[in-house]
Amino acid sequence: MDKVIIVRYCEIHLKGNNRGFFERIFVENMERALKGIKHEIRKQSGRYVIEGFESEQASYITDKVKNVFGVHTLSAAYKVSTSLDNIFEAVIKLAPVSGTFKIDTHRADKTFNMNSMQINAEIGGRLLEYNNNLRVDVHSPQAVIGIDLRENGTSLVFGNLINGVGGMPVGTAGKGMLLISGGIDSPVAGYMMAKRGMRIECIHFHSYPYTNMQAKEKVEELASVLAKYSCGTVLNVVKVTHIQEEIHKKCNGDFMVTLLRRFMFRIAERLANKCGSQCLITGESLGQVASQTIEGMTSSGSVVSKLPILRPLCGFDKNEIIERSRAMGAYEISIKPYEDCCTVFLPRHPVIHPKMRDVLEEEAKLDIEALISEALNSLEVIKI
Amino acid sequence: MIYLDNAATTKPDIRCLNLAEQYLIENYYNPSALYAEGYNLHKQLIKTRSDILNLIANDWDYQLVFTSCGTEADNQALFCGGKRGNVVTTAGEHSAVFNCASEFKERGIEVRVAPLNDDGKVNIQSLLGMIDDRTSLVSVIHVNNETGAINDVNGIAQAVKAINSRALFHSDGVQAFGKIPFKMSADVDLYSVSAHKINGVKGCGALIKRKNLIIKPLICGGGQENGLRSGTENVFAIKAFEYAAKSKYENIQLNYKLAQTLNAAMREKLDGQLFDIISPADASPYILSVAAKGVRGEIILHEVNDKGLIIGTGSACSSNDKKRYSRVILACGIDEERADGVLRISFSAENTVEEVEEAANILNETVKMRKEIME
Repeated sequence: MDKVIIVRYCEIHLKGNNRGFFERIFVENMERALKGIKHEIRKQSGRYVIEGFESEQASYITDKVKNVFGVHTLSAAYKVSTSLDNIFEAVIKLAPVSGTFKIDTHRADKTFNMNSMQINAEIGGRLLEYNNNLRVDVHSPQAVIGIDLRENGTSLVFGNLINGVGGMPVGTAGKGMLLISGGIDSPVAGYMMAKRGMRIECIHFHSYPYTNMQAKEKVEELASVLAKYSCGTVLNVVKVTHIQEEIHKKCNGDFMVTLLRRFMFRIAERLANKCGSQCLITGESLGQVASQTIEGMTSSGSVVSKLPILRPLCGFDKNEIIERSRAMGAYEISIKPYEDCCTVFLPRHPVIHPKMRDVLEEEAKLDIEALISEALNSLEVIKI
Repeated sequence: MIYLDNAATTKPDIRCLNLAEQYLIENYYNPSALYAEGYNLHKQLIKTRSDILNLIANDWDYQLVFTSCGTEADNQALFCGGKRGNVVTTAGEHSAVFNCASEFKERGIEVRVAPLNDDGKVNIQSLLGMIDDRTSLVSVIHVNNETGAINDVNGIAQAVKAINSRALFHSDGVQAFGKIPFKMSADVDLYSVSAHKINGVKGCGALIKRKNLIIKPLICGGGQENGLRSGTENVFAIKAFEYAAKSKYENIQLNYKLAQTLNAAMREKLDGQLFDIISPADASPYILSVAAKGVRGEIILHEVNDKGLIIGTGSACSSNDKKRYSRVILACGIDEERADGVLRISFSAENTVEEVEEAANILNETVKMRKEIME
């Protein structure tokens, strides 16, 4: 009797002729998550079975694989050669000690001399005899034990389903450039796009010496959390200190954030074009702060000439974002108190509804091209 | 690189490391073991305890308990000494004491915090006014780690005992030991010290306690340190501590004068238009707290770091706190604007006047430039 893990995927089964493409990448991503652990992944009619691992690794493998996008559910299972005795032996291992249960058999091997209902009755009967504390409830059982009779003479016996993270395999939906700060929102935005299959590259802006090394380290930590889901990422770090100083010196201070964000978007688009990202992703949520009004978004978005800007959190409340941040494991890092560049030179009364005419007038006081190329020269690339 | 953050830690003295090296490599035995090799180490540690102790107290009335650091010594003193009634401390304590006091509050023990004078010393009158029959412990820092302000620990202890002779008196002496000429009077019950502030290595400190004072251990186990601090002794660090402490006390007057010279040179060379001096004139010469006017201290720290100068902002242990103004600096009556620009420059006997002058130039030039940009 071998321990195995059954992996079921989400939307991939809806795909037509290109299903092979999605499946190949899905397997690659699972392999990546299990790098360094002895195992084999086999496909079995619309799902995967992981086997060949040391039995004590089972829960570790389950934890790793359930966080691979595309996984709908998983089950820890036993693989036995098909016979009622072998199947029952595995059922005993998975059965609860008390409460209600149901046996749910799927018989692909039509040559077996009992049908699904008969197997359910036989194995269920044996289990009731074996443990007096159990009762059968076919409508809402506390535990379901699945039995799958395969055509190759083996059967899989599995217990309750473990939920995976869902979504589509990362690498099946292009690549996006995530503007990542040290806050709560942007890692969640990256997570949500990765969930739909997008590979993520990150760009972070810092203002050393106004911000410290710990602030940058915090962003590296956040990118590492994201990378667990997004099958790795690259963090591009760009210094915008001089841009902030120039705005401070030459422009109306109330426009600091508005103007700085326009620079960030310009720099992000240039870098995106260079590394093959097909869109920009931000953690903006409508109305959350002064710069995230529709006018603020118009102002920053208007400098991006070709790429779409995805704002997956636009309609979320802060609480909903925090909930997701907690679930992905980023929240505790996000709330560390290091400042990112936005809080330096922060105006007391930032412009909330910037008018494009005013923005352009203020921006005209700056040498935009020179500042952008200076910032890009500071680029530091960290592979995560 | 010019290193002027010696209150955070000091460079280990290579001579002490060389002497102590044998306890890492050859004499690695467990001092609690019964065979001769272990027993010999046990005997050596008895002598080491007494030798370090005799530098500031006498081994007839006092005993020394090795700990893993000054913070642990403070924790043991507070948690094992202040268990009932009320605990009195000051607003100028290091976090190692201050946060123990906060924990007392959680546990339902009343904590009374005496304010500081503008010179950073505790207001003795207020402190004494807080002591009553129910006071179980009084803790007053000897040399403040941010401003260098020196409290007259022996004098305060005597006054405390005159009000309540049963109250224990503890002092955190981490920034004083090996630097400020001082002998413990009989009124001081507990005193914490640390090795790495005097060119020893990190991971070693000690709690000095009156012998006839019965306190419980903070860490229980195999009964090392006379049952007061279990855990196999860090013999290498302890021996390095011994050598470093002896060397410091041999030269304590000479080093003190040198620190005064360095401190005076820095005070003189810093541009008065750009910096306010926070430390009082009679503070420990090893620590000089200054405030850059109108520029956040941390920005200066980073910039001078890039130019080859290492200094601190307030206390290194609290640099990560969300409330970025130092609690101690605010307690000295400094307003938030100036508190934002506070830098801590701290010296050791290894520094030279040339280094200090160069450091002052870097600081002046950096703050001047940054002010021009930010205004």
